[in-house]
Amino acid sequence: MKKRDIILTIISISVLILFLMFANSRFDSYQIRILNLCAIYTILGLSMNLINGFTGLFSLGHAGFMAIGAYVTALLTMPAAVKNQNFFLQPIVPWLENVTVPFLPALLIGGIMAAILAFIIGAPVLRLRGDYLAIATLGFSEIIRIVFTNTQNITNGALGLKSIPNTTNLWWSFGLAALTIIFMLSLINSSYGKALKAIREDEIAAESMGIGLFRHKMLAFVIGAFFAGVGGGLLGNLLGAINPVMFRFILTFNVLLIIVLGGMGSITGTVISAFVVTSGLEYLRVLDESINLGFVRLPGIPGLRMVVFSSLLMIVVIFFRNGLMGTNEFSWDGLFALLRKRPSFLKREVGR
Amino acid sequence: MELLNTSNITMKFGGLTAVKELNLEINKGEIVALIGPNGAGKTTAFNMITGVYAPTSGRIFLGESDITGAKPHLITKKGLARTFQNIRLFKELSVLDNVFIANHLHLKSNIFEAVLHLPRYKKEKKSILEKSLFLLEKLDLLSFKEDKAKNLPYGMQRRLEIARALATNPQILLLDEPAAGMNPRETDNLTSFIKDIRDEFELTIFLIEHHMSVVMGISDRIYVLDHGVTIAVGNPYEIQNDQRVIEAYLGVSEDA
Repeated sequence: MKKRDIILTIISISVLILFLMFANSRFDSYQIRILNLCAIYTILGLSMNLINGFTGLFSLGHAGFMAIGAYVTALLTMPAAVKNQNFFLQPIVPWLENVTVPFLPALLIGGIMAAILAFIIGAPVLRLRGDYLAIATLGFSEIIRIVFTNTQNITNGALGLKSIPNTTNLWWSFGLAALTIIFMLSLINSSYGKALKAIREDEIAAESMGIGLFRHKMLAFVIGAFFAGVGGGLLGNLLGAINPVMFRFILTFNVLLIIVLGGMGSITGTVISAFVVTSGLEYLRVLDESINLGFVRLPGIPGLRMVVFSSLLMIVVIFFRNGLMGTNEFSWDGLFALLRKRPSFLKREVGR
Repeated sequence: MELLNTSNITMKFGGLTAVKELNLEINKGEIVALIGPNGAGKTTAFNMITGVYAPTSGRIFLGESDITGAKPHLITKKGLARTFQNIRLFKELSVLDNVFIANHLHLKSNIFEAVLHLPRYKKEKKSILEKSLFLLEKLDLLSFKEDKAKNLPYGMQRRLEIARALATNPQILLLDEPAAGMNPRETDNLTSFIKDIRDEFELTIFLIEHHMSVVMGISDRIYVLDHGVTIAVGNPYEIQNDQRVIEAYLGVSEDA
């Protein structure tokens, strides 16, 4: 890295930290929650992009991995008293009742459990290709949800878990998002990351260049699931309440939306898109309510914002197939080139 | 010394016998060609040797080891690399990355060492980079190293495929129609190019080719397939004068 780039990077990180400190003290809880969600969706988007964007596997099982992370983290961080309050239909299994661990190990265990399940699921489904893989992973994600609905004395079934400690704050979510970004960048630029991209480009050629398809697909799948589990854990402890219905396909769809809009195969695109889509989904709630235009009153249609996002997805898929960034990444050089190019009309104005 | 040996390999697709009892013996340092009319089963033979198909019967040996039905990536690891009839580069990746990736199979560092940039990975990465640049330089592709593979002109894409195959450190290189789509001048260059890389990298070369000028110019020995059956084996002179080969290519006269 050039000296200029290092300085600029340090400055931007400091600005981000200052912003977070400011947000922590001045923003209201709703805004802080949206910021947290943005960071968590960044983690989720990056983990799905590793599987779908970089390795080219069409997997739709993300909600399942998130569910595992969320439940494991929640159950491990809840104090025994809270657990007993939650499990009033059937008491919680004794081996879970008194287990309480700090947040970070709980998150890691959540991620590891998701990764282990991905390993077990991956063995049969990663032999499938394209649409078949999508259907199989989608099925497994639903199976996880159904299992969670029915294991009353472990997950509290359809009642879900409430009063989960609200441990997730801006430092946790942004800190882990930053670590995820660094990890993914490092992975993608390593020999392993290039091998994954080779599989995306041409499986047959990759295999005859000595890249073991199954092993490398499994690697991407398991790492992706780990980060999905961590993201799910952060989400559960942010919202304070989780239930199996939360982890339906629509959650996978939201993450898919982020990576398609941002660009399959771009870390920068995913980060930008995670922030835009997540805050968009919140702030466009206006659309779901009735709008008074003064002379006419539009009735509120619940779910209209999802129509907006679905149309957006369609437009992107039809006209901008590569999304916001394609497979490009942010660099300071690129930014400066863009800045020099874009406001050229401004420069002319000044000169005149 | 015998490097590649197949004994009676047969490939059946349902009722169709694509290749029947093919016996190849390829010695170290040789350039051997496999020719035959369209649909003779040449590419099927290649696909059996490289592990894309498992032969219906028969065995394939690379040096001492039996590679019959092994996975393609394990066969490549044992020292057999190939190019494709219809170019299969990693199109969206840079020329350098295409070659870099072909070194991945020999990487000893595990994924954690790679992600954390630990010393062993750093060292390996440096030597892979040096080797990739060396190969690109040898094959006159160095000035294109940052370009996307899909943006190279056709002839260079073919060369890049060979560079990529060489990066896997093969003992034997299988070329599937290396001259396809090349003009006469490029074809002439190819002949000397194949000989050069054989000498430079101490390779054994086994190729499928339709351009007879290339085949006759470089082959030590030629195998001729027709409808999956081996109809002739010999040096270029013998093949050119073999009655059955002439018949297979030109057809038999009705009143002969």
